[in-house]
Amino acid sequence: MGEEKKGSKLVIKDLSKQFDDKKVLKKIDLTIEHGEFIAIVGRSGCGKSTLLRLVAGLEQPTSGDIFLNDEKVKSINCDTRFLFQEDRLLPWKKVLENVQICTLNKDKEIAINALREVGLEDRGTEWPSVLSGGQKQRVALARALAGNPRLLLFDEPLGALDALTRIEMQQLIEKLWLEQQFTSILVTHDVSEAVALADRVILIDEGEIVMDTQITLDRPRERDNDFVYFEKRILERVMKKTKEPLGKADFSI
Amino acid sequence: MKTRRFWIDKFIPLIIPILIILAWQVLTSYGIIPSTIFPQPIKVVIAFLDLYKSGDLMRYIGVSSKRAISGFIVGGGIGLILGLVNGISTTFEKLLDSTIQMIRNIPHLALIPLVILWFGIGEEAKLVLISLGVFFPLYLNTYHGIRSIDPRLIEMGKVYGLKNISLFWNVIIPGSLPSILVGVRYALGIMWLTLIVAETVAADSGIGYLAMNAREFMQMDVIVLSIIIYALLGKLSDSIAKLLERRCLQWHPNFKKTTK
Repeated sequence: MGEEKKGSKLVIKDLSKQFDDKKVLKKIDLTIEHGEFIAIVGRSGCGKSTLLRLVAGLEQPTSGDIFLNDEKVKSINCDTRFLFQEDRLLPWKKVLENVQICTLNKDKEIAINALREVGLEDRGTEWPSVLSGGQKQRVALARALAGNPRLLLFDEPLGALDALTRIEMQQLIEKLWLEQQFTSILVTHDVSEAVALADRVILIDEGEIVMDTQITLDRPRERDNDFVYFEKRILERVMKKTKEPLGKADFSI
Repeated sequence: MKTRRFWIDKFIPLIIPILIILAWQVLTSYGIIPSTIFPQPIKVVIAFLDLYKSGDLMRYIGVSSKRAISGFIVGGGIGLILGLVNGISTTFEKLLDSTIQMIRNIPHLALIPLVILWFGIGEEAKLVLISLGVFFPLYLNTYHGIRSIDPRLIEMGKVYGLKNISLFWNVIIPGSLPSILVGVRYALGIMWLTLIVAETVAADSGIGYLAMNAREFMQMDVIVLSIIIYALLGKLSDSIAKLLERRCLQWHPNFKKTTK
């Protein structure tokens, strides 16, 4: 067990999901390595959030399987944590109690440490309603971290934040990911956010993976020419300006 | 300056009641309003002191409060439990809700003749009537409170490992509490109303009995005194409910200013 890597390995095989007549995901195959940071981009309604909810066990697939560390995902898993689009803090619990929610009956220290990680250790005794949007989302991040997750799923958690707070949050997420080595899947419609954070960007269009790109930039990432190159490349594919063959494409620059 | 503002704020709500009492005293003592129609405030105070000294007043207040509270606990408790059950389980809701809604549409005071025939004029009749009156506001508000909890919070709870009982205590109860407390306040109003009616119709003790008995002997001062006591008891219970709201809902932005 000691040899086991902390970040989960995720294998998705032949995964399809259908709501009534609408095919949201069509035979998705995807492997995510231990500790990898994946970004899934796509237009709204392309099925990227559904994929994330399937991985979290919040929905059941119509067909196909998801394996987390060689075990089939059947329902909600306690090693997997989800960061929602909204902060979803319980307004009737103080900040610290909100962080403690997933470490129920456990050490208060863990929760305090998690709050410290996101820089809010002095706000533990306040009600969530007095915090700003960015602070609330940081508390939500602390809540996810307090469970010491092996897989962290981000469903556009930064979508509602202003541009500056957003960049701060991206840096914070990157820092915590580097420190804690969990596997991450970030769903976003913001291509530049995907390039800034991910090892690999996956583009989903109409329920299918149409692009799978390694981002070979060093960390911390600068928004330089190479960055723009990746961003442009993915964005063009999103806008369907170019048709390139499907498959892993390692761009050498 | 701050303390002056404080005293002004405290004093403003009292201005109108004080003026009314002064006008009342003046109008009655000069005979503009005959004392057979309306007694002097002083007479009411004297009646209060007399009844207080004889011990009747406190005994009657005790009897009435006991009726009110026991009816509230029985009816409110059943309402709360059924509201919770029907709010959480759609199966139970299908089974029970339409029946409850049917009964709700009967004014509970219309059942007085039936209740008297069934239970006589004793304590049971009053308990049944008050329970019935208190049941519906608590049932409806509890049910509504649970149904209006943000389903995204429940989903969050599940993702973060809350199950059944912990989900109930950490998400469902606090989430429906604002609505439940509205139900409590509303039920308290109905509780006093039903008590007054029940005691006026048939009783051998309590404040309603005091008033009806005084009517027999044309004791206007005692009648007015009973009405005032009802008002005070109603106000007292509402203040307690308000206090409860402030204590339990500190997190709620609407209640935050008042707690400071």
